[in-house]
Amino acid sequence: MAASLTSTGSARLLGALARSGSLCSSSGSRALHVTAVCCKNKAARVRVGKGDKPLTYEQALPPHHIGHRKGWLSQNTSNLKGEEGAAERTIEDVFVRRFMFGTFHGCLANEIVIKRRGNVLIVCALMLQKLPPQKFYFLIGYSESLLSHLYKCPVKLEVQTLQDKAVYKYL
Amino acid sequence: MAAPMALRRELFSLARKISGVSHLTPRALGACSSHRKCNIIRSHLPLASSTSFHTATLFLSTPSSITVTEEPDTLFQKVSLLVKGHDRAVLDSYEFFATMAAKELGININKVHELPKDMERFTLLKSVHIFKNHRVQYEMRTHYRCIELSHITGCTAQVYLEYIQRNLPEGVAMEVTKTAMEKVPDHILEPMWEDHPIDDKSSQ
Repeated sequence: MAASLTSTGSARLLGALARSGSLCSSSGSRALHVTAVCCKNKAARVRVGKGDKPLTYEQALPPHHIGHRKGWLSQNTSNLKGEEGAAERTIEDVFVRRFMFGTFHGCLANEIVIKRRGNVLIVCALMLQKLPPQKFYFLIGYSESLLSHLYKCPVKLEVQTLQDKAVYKYL
Repeated sequence: MAAPMALRRELFSLARKISGVSHLTPRALGACSSHRKCNIIRSHLPLASSTSFHTATLFLSTPSSITVTEEPDTLFQKVSLLVKGHDRAVLDSYEFFATMAAKELGININKVHELPKDMERFTLLKSVHIFKNHRVQYEMRTHYRCIELSHITGCTAQVYLEYIQRNLPEGVAMEVTKTAMEKVPDHILEPMWEDHPIDDKSSQ
């Protein structure tokens, strides 16, 4: 059958079958032929569901809207023309995101924004009010000092707290 | 925005006393800048357990001392700033800021123009294995802005550039090209054939 099915389960099944080749059985029975047209773009997109998944603005918009409807999550000059150090900045960013996700587990409301100005690394985060403020202050100071020792540059954390996650739409 | 700023100023003196958690000794900052942290706690009275707060960072710099030297100041015929960024709106606002600062300081702006943007594109395979006909394309855009200042002294240039560079937004890079004017050296001021009349014919 041609790929006219649009639900995620069958798309994944068809995708898996496409990679393994067409499935055919003995003569007289139907064969399932899948083609490579099932390779749709999947990056950074949340697939449409029943309507019960709350999404933030960042999660709801796909990556081709970056620069038009979305901003940048990691702001540095390494990707400009004639500038170097793109790979090192990317690795640092990935580490900082995982570190923040682990330190403030369950408290992050949205993705972290990392900015670099001169030598300073500024990490901006939105948190949920799950912990008492004293614990937050300790965790903020701990992550600042640990990251500045690791990266040998001043690291500043800018934190704002919310009651709940800011939902943009439900998918 | 006005209320948190006022609160921040009032609590600034308080922050110096409460700053125990956030002050760290081995900050490897530049020579003349320091920073303070300002934590504001606002608690909602009915719900004692949940409190909202936000932290903000202030960049403060100690004023650099004024030095007076005897040697004459360098003169620049042209100082050109090339600003590069991914976002055109950010470059627009930075250009407004730089031109306003130059006008306030009395620096002559020769011209402010926008160079055409550069797009670095690459086409990669969409799938991990096979499917050569399905590709995905990415591009990185670099926007430029060029501000040229003319006939500026060394001290003014130093102050202006320091101010501009401290306020450079994140994600924006700047290249500065200075064209200096030097006094013509004395030994080439006068043409040589006037001092030493032609002796070639007699030597030959």
